Amino acid sequence: MKRTSKSKLLVAQLAGISLALAIVATAAARRPQEPEKPATAAAPAAAPNPPKPLKKQRRPPPPADATVERGRTQYTASCGFCHGPDATGARGPDLLRSPIVAHDVKGNMIGDVVHNGRPDKGMPPLPLADDQIADIAAYLHWRIAEGLSSSEVPQGYPAEKLLTGNAQDGKAFFEGAGGCTKCHSATGDLADVSGKYSAIDLEAQMLYPEGKFKSAKVTLGSGEVVEGKLEHLDEFSVAITDANGWYRAFPRSDVKIEVTDKLAAHREMLDKLTQKQMHDLFAYVHTLEKEAAKQ
Amino acid sequence: MSRANLILRVGQKPLEADGMSLSRDHNANVQSARRLCAFVNIVRAASVLLLLLAALRVPSLAAQGLDPSALLKPDATDTWPTYNGDYSGKRYSTLDQINAGNVNQLTLAWIYRTHGQAIKATSLEVNNILYFTVPDNIYAIDARFGQPIWHFERKVAGDHIGHRGVAMYKDRLYFTTSDAHLLCLTAKDGKVVWDIVLADDKLGYFATMAPIVIRDHIIAGVSGDSTDIRGVLTSVDPETGKVQWRWYTEPDSGQPGSETWPNADALLHGGGMTWMTGTYDPELNLLYWGTGNPNPVLVGDSRPGDNLFTCSIVALNPDTGKLQWTFQPSPHDVHDWDAVQTPILFNRDYQGKQRKLLAQASRNGFYFLLDRSTGEHLATNQFIDQTWASGVDAKGRPIARPEATPTSDGALVEPGSDGATNWMAPSFDPQTGLFYVMARRIISVFYRTVDGKVEGWGGRDRNLYMDSTLRALDYKTGKIVWNHELGEGEDTAGILTTAGHLLFTADHLGNLLALDPATGKTLWHLNVGEHVVASLMTYEIFGRQYIIVPVGDTMYAFSLPEKPEGKKK
Repeated sequence: MKRTSKSKLLVAQLAGISLALAIVATAAARRPQEPEKPATAAAPAAAPNPPKPLKKQRRPPPPADATVERGRTQYTASCGFCHGPDATGARGPDLLRSPIVAHDVKGNMIGDVVHNGRPDKGMPPLPLADDQIADIAAYLHWRIAEGLSSSEVPQGYPAEKLLTGNAQDGKAFFEGAGGCTKCHSATGDLADVSGKYSAIDLEAQMLYPEGKFKSAKVTLGSGEVVEGKLEHLDEFSVAITDANGWYRAFPRSDVKIEVTDKLAAHREMLDKLTQKQMHDLFAYVHTLEKEAAKQ
Repeated sequence: MSRANLILRVGQKPLEADGMSLSRDHNANVQSARRLCAFVNIVRAASVLLLLLAALRVPSLAAQGLDPSALLKPDATDTWPTYNGDYSGKRYSTLDQINAGNVNQLTLAWIYRTHGQAIKATSLEVNNILYFTVPDNIYAIDARFGQPIWHFERKVAGDHIGHRGVAMYKDRLYFTTSDAHLLCLTAKDGKVVWDIVLADDKLGYFATMAPIVIRDHIIAGVSGDSTDIRGVLTSVDPETGKVQWRWYTEPDSGQPGSETWPNADALLHGGGMTWMTGTYDPELNLLYWGTGNPNPVLVGDSRPGDNLFTCSIVALNPDTGKLQWTFQPSPHDVHDWDAVQTPILFNRDYQGKQRKLLAQASRNGFYFLLDRSTGEHLATNQFIDQTWASGVDAKGRPIARPEATPTSDGALVEPGSDGATNWMAPSFDPQTGLFYVMARRIISVFYRTVDGKVEGWGGRDRNLYMDSTLRALDYKTGKIVWNHELGEGEDTAGILTTAGHLLFTADHLGNLLALDPATGKTLWHLNVGEHVVASLMTYEIFGRQYIIVPVGDTMYAFSLPEKPEGKKK
C-alpha cells in the first residue's frame, strides 16, 4: 500500500482500531530518503472532498476608476520620467515602497513633496494643482493595492500566458503515455471542457478536478453490503449515501470498506508529470471546445 | 475525592518530584518554596502534614506574578509560563496524571466560548489563570473552572490572520498587535501600562507572535510579507518599553551576509519576517530564531544570491542582539517557505558524544539537525514528499531545481506555499527520543503573474491536492520512525507530548487524537466538530491535570473525571 489515492481500488480491511493505523510504505521517486516500511493496513483516513481554501481569491485586483486613470496620465506626464513608468522607481525612488506615499491620505503628504521638491535629492518643485496631486495620489495608492493583490492569481489570468506548450505533444500524451483516454474522450465528456472554465481554472481541473469522486462499498458484520457515494471517512467512521439516497454511517471497526476513487489516476499523474507535459497537455485540453464556441 | 484527599494529592506532587517540580509555587517564589519543600520532607510523616501542605499553597495565592527566573527551569512542569511551555520549544510536559493507561477516561472539565475569531493561540497558564489571544483581544480565564476573569480589546486596522499568545514577566503581560505595536498590560486586570510601536503598520507590518521573556528582555518579532519590508526582532525593557536592541533580518550594507544581496535597496526591502517565538539556551545564553522568506516572495529576479538571513535559523545574544551563528534551510527562497518553525533544543547523544542539539522540521520539507553551540550542521533529511530540491549541498542545505521556480505558465511543485509544515507546533519527547512534525503533502502550481519589477508577491500558487500525516523522526537522522496518516486536507494542529506517554494532536476532520508517542497508535479520540488550528497545551492545578484544546472560538479543557473511583452508579 503506497498511499490512499494511489490505488485505484482502496481496500480497507479493518478488524479493529489498531489496524486503522497505517505505517505507510513510501514510494520511491519523490521520496528517496524515506525508509521502506511494511504495510499493515490501508490508509486510515481520507476526507472525500477536502476543501481547497486557496482556490478562491481573497484579494481581487482593485478596479481602476476614472480618478485613478486621470492620475495615471498625470503621473506619466509629471513623475514617470524619474520614478519609472509604473512608479517602481528609476532615477528616483520606488514610490510604491515609499513611507511618504504609505502615510499619504488623498495627497496630503505627497502634495508637500510635489510643491516643495526635495532639493537635497535633486527633485525640483512641480507646479501642480491640488486636484492633480490628489489624482496622482489615487493612482499611487491604486498601484500599491495592485502590488498587494499580486499574492493571488486572478480569475482572468490570460490564457496566452498559460499556452506555452505544444498541443500536438499534449494530444499524443493525452492519447498515449498520459493514459487520459482510459476515462476521458476528447469528443465525449471533454468535448466542451475548455468552454466551461476560465483558463486558470481549466488548468487546475485538468490536473486534479474539484468535486465528489469517491464511492464506497461497506460490508457489515452481518454480511450485508451497502454501497454509495462516500460522504465521510476518517480513522474511526465511514459514511455513505446509499442507493435510496439515505445517509448511513458505521464504525470502521465493525465493517469492511472498499473505496473507489475516480481521481486516483489524477493523483498518480501529479507525481509523474513534468513541467513540459503539463504545459503540452494544457495546450491540447484548451483546444477542446465546441465548434460554435470557436467561431 | 474528599477535599482533604485533594489537598494531599496536591502536596505529594512536589515531594515525589524530588524538589525539581514545586507544583505551582515555583512561580511565586522558587527559593521559599524549596525551603518549604525541604521542611515538608522532614515532617512528612507527621500528623500535621495536611496543614503544612495547605500552607504551601498560600504564597501562590498572594503573589500572582511570574518570576522570570522560573523560566530557567529545564522542562515545562505543571505550568505553561511561556509560548512553547518552556525555553526549549520541546512542547513536552512532565505531567503524567493523564497517561496512556487512563486516557480513555478523558472527559470535559469545562468549555469557554469567546464568540470571536478562531483561536490560534497557545494559552499561558500561570497561578491558575489562563491567558490567550485572538487578534485585538486578550482573554484571562480561570484555569480551573473556565470562568472569565477579564477581557481586553483594542480594535485596530492591520492584518488579522491570527494570533499566537502573550508573554508574562512578573505581574505584566506583553501583547503584539495587528498594527505592529507591543503592549504591556497588568496581568490581574488587563490594564495597559505602556504601548510602543514595533514597526510602521502603514508599510505593511503587523504582529501575531507571542513575545519571549529572557530575564529583563521582552523580545518580539513582526509579520507582513505582502509588501517588501525588512524583518526585525526588537528587545525592550519590561518596565519602560524602552528599546534595548534591534536585530534586522537583512544586514546593513557592507556587513557580513550583505554580499548575498545585489544592492542596498534589495537589502532594505528583503523581507524575512520574525513571525514565530524563538527558543533559548540559558547556559549558552543564546536565543534561537527562525526567520521568514525573502521579498518579493515568489520572484527572485531583483535579489540574486542566497538572501541572508532570510529563511534562516539564527543564534543571537539576547543581551545585545548580536548574531553568533546562522544556518539557512532555504537559500534564495521563491516559494514562501519561511524557516520560522520552532527550532527545538535538546541535549542528546550524537555519534557517541553528548551534544547540545537544535532541530527544525522546516516548511520546505526538510529536517535539519545542528549543534546549537556552534551552528555546525549535523544532518539534513527530507521528511515528506518534495519535488523542488535535487539534493543537499556541502553545507547541508537543499539544492533547488531550476524548473521548480514559479513561471508565468505555471510550475508544478510539491510542497505548495503553505508548506510541508508550518506554524503548528512540533514536539520532541525525551522519553522516546523522537521528533514529531505535522507533515503535509501539498501539490501546487506556482504562477508568476507579474512582469517587470515585482512588488510584494508577484504571483501565487494554487493548491491541487493536500493530505496530512503525523510523522515521528529519528532526531539523529530525520529518518521516519513511524507515520500516522491523517487523511486528505491540510492539517493545522500542533503537537503536545507528555510524560504520561501521550502525544496529543488532531486530524483535519475534527478528531482530537491521543497517540502512543512510541508507535503512533491511537489511544483515544473525540470528534470535536471542527479542525483544530492551534497547538495544544497542558497544566496541573489543585491536583488535576488539564489538556487545553482550542476549537474555533471555543476553549475546551479536558481532564480525568473528578471522582473516578468513588462514584456509584
